[in-house]
Amino acid sequence: MQVDRVRQPNEEQLAIDAADIHVTYADGTEAVRGVDLTVEKGEFFGFLGPNGAGKTTTIKTLVTLLHPNHGSVTINGYDVETEPQAVSESIGYMAQETSVDEELTARENIQFACKVYGVPASEQDERIEKLLDLVGLTDVADKRAENYSGGMKKRLDAATVLVHRPPLVFLDEPTTGLDPEARMRLWNYFEQLNEHGTTVFLTTQYLEEVDRLCDRLSVIQDGKIIATDTPDALKSAVGGDILDLALEDSSRQETERAIEVVRESDALEAATIETTDDGFTITAEDAREAVGDLFVALHKADVVVTGFDVRSPTLDDVFLTLTGESLEASNQDGANEQRVTVPEQEVAE
Amino acid sequence: MSNITDEGDVSGSDTAQKAPGNSSVADMQISVKRWLVKTSRNPFVTFSSLIQPVIFFVLMAEVLGAIVSGALAQTVGSDINYITYLTPAIVIQSALAAAAVSGIGLVDDMDTGMFEKLLASPMDRGAMFLGKVLSEVVRIVVQTTIILLLGYVMLYLQSGASVGSYLRTGLLGFIGVIAIAVIFGGAFMAFSNIVALVTHDQEATTMIANLLTFPLLFISSAFVPLEVLPGWIQSVAVVNPITYGVDGVRAFMLGQNVMTVFYVTAFSGLWNTVIPSVAVLIGFNVVLGGFAVHLLNRASKAKVQ
Repeated sequence: MQVDRVRQPNEEQLAIDAADIHVTYADGTEAVRGVDLTVEKGEFFGFLGPNGAGKTTTIKTLVTLLHPNHGSVTINGYDVETEPQAVSESIGYMAQETSVDEELTARENIQFACKVYGVPASEQDERIEKLLDLVGLTDVADKRAENYSGGMKKRLDAATVLVHRPPLVFLDEPTTGLDPEARMRLWNYFEQLNEHGTTVFLTTQYLEEVDRLCDRLSVIQDGKIIATDTPDALKSAVGGDILDLALEDSSRQETERAIEVVRESDALEAATIETTDDGFTITAEDAREAVGDLFVALHKADVVVTGFDVRSPTLDDVFLTLTGESLEASNQDGANEQRVTVPEQEVAE
Repeated sequence: MSNITDEGDVSGSDTAQKAPGNSSVADMQISVKRWLVKTSRNPFVTFSSLIQPVIFFVLMAEVLGAIVSGALAQTVGSDINYITYLTPAIVIQSALAAAAVSGIGLVDDMDTGMFEKLLASPMDRGAMFLGKVLSEVVRIVVQTTIILLLGYVMLYLQSGASVGSYLRTGLLGFIGVIAIAVIFGGAFMAFSNIVALVTHDQEATTMIANLLTFPLLFISSAFVPLEVLPGWIQSVAVVNPITYGVDGVRAFMLGQNVMTVFYVTAFSGLWNTVIPSVAVLIGFNVVLGGFAVHLLNRASKAKVQ
């Protein structure tokens, strides 16, 4: 027996409040093993993890499509078990797979969504025009969706999940497989959405995406959340700046000798050193300041450095630190994913 | 709280907390409309499920018409033209062709993600599927009307017969023919959706429908009176829903009891055929429909333990 929940959402309530979700599929796969999530109203929340980590399974339990074996989920103050109707009416859900009716035009797809969500007839036309404009499909609004590119279909899909102006939107890997330009358009669109107050829950396997968009994120691996924080806090947890060094002779013996030189020099206070394919990587609070001293010490020891890079930690480093493997590598294990190179983030709003 | 027409229109935190949603009836109308628009986008699909019955109609009338008149005289009456006798078979064949592709739309919705999208929406699930069924009913009504008209045109060109000698029970018969075509179609819509839900494959759904059509049509009372056919065909015809669909339609066309698989005398005239036929077809609907609904429920629910 559960204690009665407060039924009317109020200002203080969380957009997402999920506790200890477990989902085991009929074949015995434990897809989600104890996930807790609290997302506040207005947040842009990221859910980062490699393929098969449990992102989609988690999102499906949040949008009422899957019943967890254990755990409780409250969305916008409504319980997914007892008030699934109210949950669906108060959210937008964009599935990983682009879901549009390709036999209908963009306008008809959005109109159909308006009707499904009960948007009053008097408001429909105006809202359809606005959404078409927002996702840049006004010019092709009366062409059937089967003629659209993948990016256009995604944008149309995004428009259809917003017809009822939901306060909370779930986006399941919205940009996977899209070309950089299409991805950038969607990012701008999601940013606008969030700026207008919509809470966004976004799953992704792209670090750049959370880095650019999210206020906070959870990192999920093997069905468990292994960290939750702001991107900056997670990065600083990596332990300082990162210095990548490439050596002329990157044989194991020579690399170890070079690492020994670094350790014996007094340039660094405390550092984590790992070997790489062509040299080694130093992670330390004072890595940036120590570059000069390190080079002198290496030069004295006849170690020839052919390349170097000092950088702040990225979320990939965060992922590497947390899981012991790179997210890129994890995704490549996941196979059949279309990887897309993401351009540098100089493209502004 | 906030002005609906301002920029905040794209989002909703300061406006509606919850979509208003619809009644089940409204949900059903929305669904019917979507499927009818989709059907109209593919005139080829409707056309192809009409063209085969039409070709059959013309060929059968020409080829078998010459030799079947003797059998007709022995069974239903010497004053009955083969075209009139054949029309019910073609009505049922076209209803079968329309109903048998019902599952394809479902598989298509599953493939494109629309199925799951609607499951996550507030749309009433029952209304969502009933809407699809109703759009197919509309299609069967339209096709049946076309076949009935075509049959009369063929009959008129051949013998100049009056409408009264073609559809002998008049308007009641017209409504009756359509009703039986729809009830018959229901069973095959259910069957098609069962195949779709089990195979999750458009091609398999189409293929199984096509494979079944011809044997079922020939092992029934569709083209030739059962009495003149081999014993094994007569036996199989008893469990073939096409027999009941064709006999029901034929009773309305000819205005007499034409039941060929068992003899009912509890009612009068054509009702001795219509009532048992409809009862058997409803039985097929309940069994197949029940199984389809069961599979649909399972597909709509979590695949979790």
